[in-house]
Order: sequence, then C-alpha cells, then structure tokens
Amino acid sequence: MTAWNIRPIASALWRNRTGALLVALQIAIGLAVLVNAIYVVKQRVDKINRPHGMDVENIFVIASTGFTRDFDYDASWRDDLAYLRDLPGVKAATLVSAIPLSGSGSSNGFTSKPSKPGDDTEVGNNFDVDEQAIEALGVELVAGRNFAPHEILPPTDGYEFAPQVIITREFAKALFPEDGNALGKSIYDGLNRPSTVIGIIETMHGSWVGWDKLGQVMLIPRIRSGPAAIYMVRTEPGRQAALMRTAEEHLATSNPDRLLRWVRPMEYFVHQSYLDDRNMAIFLTSVTSALLAITALGIFGLATFNVSTRIRQIGTRRAVGARRLDIVRHFLVENWMVTTAGIVAGCGFALAIGYWISIKYELPRLDLYYLVGGVLGIWLIGIAAALQPARRASAISPAVATRTV
Amino acid sequence: MLGYYFQLAIRNLRRNPGLTALMVGAVALGIAVCVMTLTMYRAMSGNPIWWKNDVLHAVTMDFWDPNEDAHDQKPDLPPWQLTYRDALAVMESDIPDRTVVMHKAVGVLSTEDGAVRPERVLTRVTSADFFAAFDVPFQYGGTWSDDADRAPEPVMVISRAMNEKYFGGANSVGRQIRWDDREFRVVGVRDHWQPMPTFYDVNNGSLQESEDVYIPFGWNAAAEIYSAGNTNGWKPEEINTYQDFLNSESIWIQAWVELPDAATRERFQSFLDNYALSQKEGGRHQRPINNHLTPVDQWLVDNDVVGNDDRVLVGLAFAFLAVCLLNTVGLLLAKFLNNAAITGVRRALGASRRQVFLQHLVEVGVISGIGALFGLALGALMLTGLRALYTVDPTDLGGTQAIAHVDVTSIVTALGLALLATIAAGLYPAWRIGRIPPAVYLKAQ
Repeated sequence: MTAWNIRPIASALWRNRTGALLVALQIAIGLAVLVNAIYVVKQRVDKINRPHGMDVENIFVIASTGFTRDFDYDASWRDDLAYLRDLPGVKAATLVSAIPLSGSGSSNGFTSKPSKPGDDTEVGNNFDVDEQAIEALGVELVAGRNFAPHEILPPTDGYEFAPQVIITREFAKALFPEDGNALGKSIYDGLNRPSTVIGIIETMHGSWVGWDKLGQVMLIPRIRSGPAAIYMVRTEPGRQAALMRTAEEHLATSNPDRLLRWVRPMEYFVHQSYLDDRNMAIFLTSVTSALLAITALGIFGLATFNVSTRIRQIGTRRAVGARRLDIVRHFLVENWMVTTAGIVAGCGFALAIGYWISIKYELPRLDLYYLVGGVLGIWLIGIAAALQPARRASAISPAVATRTV
Repeated sequence: MLGYYFQLAIRNLRRNPGLTALMVGAVALGIAVCVMTLTMYRAMSGNPIWWKNDVLHAVTMDFWDPNEDAHDQKPDLPPWQLTYRDALAVMESDIPDRTVVMHKAVGVLSTEDGAVRPERVLTRVTSADFFAAFDVPFQYGGTWSDDADRAPEPVMVISRAMNEKYFGGANSVGRQIRWDDREFRVVGVRDHWQPMPTFYDVNNGSLQESEDVYIPFGWNAAAEIYSAGNTNGWKPEEINTYQDFLNSESIWIQAWVELPDAATRERFQSFLDNYALSQKEGGRHQRPINNHLTPVDQWLVDNDVVGNDDRVLVGLAFAFLAVCLLNTVGLLLAKFLNNAAITGVRRALGASRRQVFLQHLVEVGVISGIGALFGLALGALMLTGLRALYTVDPTDLGGTQAIAHVDVTSIVTALGLALLATIAAGLYPAWRIGRIPPAVYLKAQ
C-alpha cells in the first residue's frame, strides 16, 4: 500500500475546487478572528481580575445630601457615623470624598522634593477619609501607622493638604524611584506644602479603571465637605446585604433635612466600571464561538457533499480492495488539505489584524503562542467536523459499484 | 415567469428542509449580528443635530499648562472646557446669533408642602440660548431672558418627567418649586429630548441622560455651585473660597456658539484671538494662541466618541457575515449541482441559460429574504440581550437603554444586507448551474 496517496486525493479535490476554496476562506477568516478575539478577551479578563486590595464584597456605600436651610452637616455626619459604627456586624465605617473604582474622584500632582513650576510631578489619586478608612476599605497597612482620630481635619472648600498622609506602595515607588522607601519622608503638593508619609498600603486601586496610574493612591485625613456625604461601611463576611437594608431603613427617616440618595453595594460601582470590558469579552466570545460553529458546519457540508457525489467511486474502490480505514483516511486527508490551505492564508490575516489591533489599543504585538494555539484548534475542529461524513463514506457497500442507477 | 420561478423555488426549498434551514439560519445569523452592531455603532457615531452642523460650533481656547499639552495624543487641540472667566468673555460677545455657556450640576428638587418625595436631579446651569441653539422642544412655556442669566433670576425649566412628578403633568408655568434651598419659578417644561450621543457635553460621558432641570448661568456664582462633572486644573493655586475657584485656571465650563455664515465665523474667530492676545499680553499664559471653533461632527471625532471597541465589533460583525455568506455559497453550490439532472432536463426542453440563471437567483432571493426576516427578529432579540448586559441597576435608565432598539434604519440595513447577500451568495452558483451542458446529465439516465 502506497504511503498516503496524496496525489489522487489532491486531484479529486481539484475537481471540486470551488467548494474547497470557499471552505478554506471560511477557515482563514475563522482563524484570524479566533486568534485575535482570544488575545483581546485575555487582556480584558486580566484587567478585570487585577488585585484591587480592598474587601469589595463586604462593603456597602451610602450617599446622603442635605438640602434644606436647617441642615446641619456637622451634626448629621457625626450622627450617621455613630449609628453605623454601633450596628452589630459592622466592622468599620468612614466618610470618603469619592468611591474607589467608581469612575469619579480627584487627582493631583505631588513631588518628593520642593518643586519649581514646570518640574515633573507624580500624579496621585487622593481620597479624603477618616481614621477608620484602613479598616473600612479592608486594605492592608504594611508599614507605619494609621491616622489618629485627632489628626482628622475639618472640611474645606476645594483641595487642601494635610500634615500626614498614607500612600500605596506603588505611589511610594513612583515618588521615590531609588529605593521605593517613603515611610517617614516628606512629600510636597503643587504649592510646595509638605506632608509626612506615616503609613504604606500594600495595594489599593483608585477611581478610574482605565488609568495606567490606578494604583497610585493617597489617603488624606479630612472630613469631606458638605452638604453631601458618602459613607463606606464594611461588615463581617456575609452580612453586607442584611445590614445594608437595616441602615437604609434607619437613615431614610433619621433626618428630614436630608435626602438619602442611595445605598448600594460597592460591587455595583466595580461592576459598572468594568462593564464595557466585561461586555466586550462576552460579545467577542459569543460571536467567535458562533463563527467557529458556522465554519465547522461549512466543513461538514463540504465533506458530506463530496461523499454524496462520489458514492460510486467509493464503492468501486472498496470493491477493488480498499479497506474502510482507507476511505476514512482519504476524506480526512482531503479535508486536512483544505483546512491547512485555509490556515496558511489565515495566519496572514491573523497577523495583519493583530497588528492593526495592537496599534489601535496600544497593546504589545500579538503573541505567536496564540497563533500556534489557534492553528491547532482549527485543525482539531476540521477533523471533528469531517469525521462523521468520512465514516459514513466508509460504510458504503462495495456492491454499489455494480449497480447502474 | 417570475411567479413560476418563485413557485419552483418554494418547491425546491421544501424538498430539502434541513439544508434550507441551514442556509436560512446562516444568512439570518449573519444579518442579525450585523444589524445589532451597526445599530449600536450608528447610535454612538451619529450626529444627533446634523441639520445644524454648519452653524453650531464648540468653542475651545488654550490656556493650559505651558509645559505640557492638554492631550497627549492630540497635542494641537486645546482642552475640552473653558475657565469661568474665558466663558464670561465668550458670553459677552454679541457676534454669535446664540451663545451657550454651561456646566453640569446636581441639586435636590422639593416643594414647599413636601407632598412629593424630594428627588436629586441632574441639573444644567446654562445661558438662556441652550434650548434654541440645540433645538430643544418645549411642552409648555419656554426659556428665560438673557437678563435672567446675569441677574440671576430664580427661574427654571424642568423636564416633562419632573413636571409629571411634581405637577401631575399639568401646565406648571408660573408655579414655584424648590431647588436645594432656593425657590424657583417654572418658566418652561422641556418635552422629550434625548440626543445620542450627548454631543453638547461629551466630556462628561457621551451616553448621558438629559438633565431634569435647567437654571440660569448666573446661579453658579450666586449660589456657589460647583460642577458635578469634570473639573480639571494644571496650575497649583491656592483655592480657599468659591471666588478663588472662579478666578482660577480650572476648566469646567462648556461653550457653544451659533454662527450663521463664514463671515461671522471669521469675525468671532478674530474676536477670540484678540481676547487671547490681550490675556497673553496681560501675562496670563505662555502657550501659542490656539482657539478652535469646531462643528458638531468634528467635535465627536476629536472627542473619540466612537471607541476602538465599537470599530472592532463592526469589523467582527462583517467578518462574521462574510463567513455566513461563504457558507451559504458552498451549500447553494452543492444543492444546485445535486439537482443538476433536473436542470439538464429543463435545458434539454428549451430553457435558456438566462432563464435557468434567473430561476436559481430567485431561489437564492427567497432564502435571503426569509433569512433577513429571521435576522431582523434575531437582531432585535440580541439587542434586548445587549440591553440586559448593560443594565447595572434596573431603575437607572442610562443612555445604552435608549439606543439599543431596532428602528427604521435597522430594517433598511437588514434588507440591504439581504440584497447584498443574494447577489454575493447567489450569483456564482446560479451562473455555474446555467453553464451545465444538458447532455451530460441526460446521458446518465
């Protein structure tokens, strides 16, 4: 038996080249889409799953706004915080100027030495918080100490600096690139007002998930300015949902001079911030799956057609001694040749699209591992789709060859 | 003759229901995905006030950091917003037909008697021309006077929804309503108006809900209202009071002007350049003079309202359609060649090549037509799914809710794609079958 009989298979294929060409084109597009979709989805999933350093699942957020002339902001936040901190099951509660990972917040430039106009600054995402913030956010303080209650400053209009701040390790590295050690050192704001770094947080994400300096965060000990207040409350594991309702019921009626705007789990904001990334991943995955399914159908259709138009030839081959395995092999090899032709063209497409995407998204060039994986995947899909028609062909009885119609 | 071909097509399609379903399904799926992505894309990229594209211009001036450009990617463009004092200068000029200076704010609406639950509302603090410049429709009343902007007078335009809530939908012009701790008089009720994208303030999001309340521009200084949107600064400044903030280099105000013709545009451009020059001579800033008057369509491009994700998705949708069509071509070819014997008989009995070609093209048309119908239905279904994907809070009807629906353009798109599919998928198989020499198939019998 001659090794693989490539020649007769190729010549049989050539007799119906249009169908084969159509399927090869589908495979080329399928491969190009598959490889790049997986690449983009991987980027999005990695982005969504970055460690943010906070105990998001057990935190809920409350927004309240005073709107009458009689509203006393100072008394209001003191009452609210006292109530929240007293609730059984609440670990800690803090006033915040903005909610991390929510898409809104404030950032300013800071330096490790006094600066002149035009000097480079490092941008930090700053949050006004009180002494329970470390506990309420669930972030890990890896060096130094927390704010003391007497260090919390009263509200001011606009941006102000404080004598002490706590920053993330990532921000410390940005400010002190030599050794990354910021603890106990002075840093300066844009008006050259100094402040001492009293604590370092392992990891904490700031407001904007699309920002490359998301991890450069600074906590400033200050009560946010009124009449709107935002509280972040961290509960013991599993009690967030119940405590959220309890707090909402109480606060909605505790003070007629304010409006309880909403009470929401922190997950709400995180979900919203990553919504586009998540939906892009879902969309790409589903369209790519559908596309591959249709391509597989195309392969299946071509193989079925080839079998159905060659019944007599198959019967003849069987009658002159070909085994069933030879018939199966014939169709699988034929299909493999079509698939491979598509793959060769598809590699070109995939790299071209990958190049375009890497420019548009400012991403590194498409990793070749993805291409190798995609090629193997398409080969497998091709064989799987052709297997059933090939086996049906092998079941054709040699007796067919002797019949005329 | 076409009627007969149509009958033949139906009969042929019913002979192989599995194959027919496969072809219809492939066309439908391809069209559905295209309709969905194109509907989304069009909503993002459309110019919602195209009829005023020649006259409406966004005003931007460059008083930004001398050491750093406002946009890394687009160094030649000024920042998107103005400082308070530059906005005042724009407002003072009488060259434009209409001038809109404005910013986003939030406040709490309530009534004296407290009969309706107070509600926190998105508010636009704006000059009176907002409504006329952007063709905003009124249900009752109208805008306030220019004097009301300067004084400022306690007057307000509320949305139709707020009018329903606080006044039961009646004509509320002249009625009193409270915004935060001040009494305002309603002068107008805005009718339904939801431009997509929200071109007039894309800086604060291109898919925002329209505001519920509009108050005169002068109220920001009078009531010390900060922007509820983006406020950016580059200069380290001591800001301790609201007045410090107004005098600062912080940018937070959007400005638009209506300029009827090129001559007026040139006059206003030189007015801006002269103003910038006088500021520069006063020592305020050291950047080159760079004032822009940008029409709406260019403004949407400059602001990258259409994201890369949208472009990738449209590309993907067409790749998908291409695969679906290639698939259909393959299946059609197989089907036609399988029935070649019958075609051979037809040819032998005198049917011309043209007639055979036409007959098969009708068959393809029927498949594409049915595919388009299913595709449209499927596309509508997918858009509903998409809406669910984008819904974070069912009570919060954000912008995506409003755009994700099938409309006339979607239907036209689907029909256009079906026609394209017929031509692309059917032409070759129909031609190929017409070329068959009848003798070959007659012989086999």
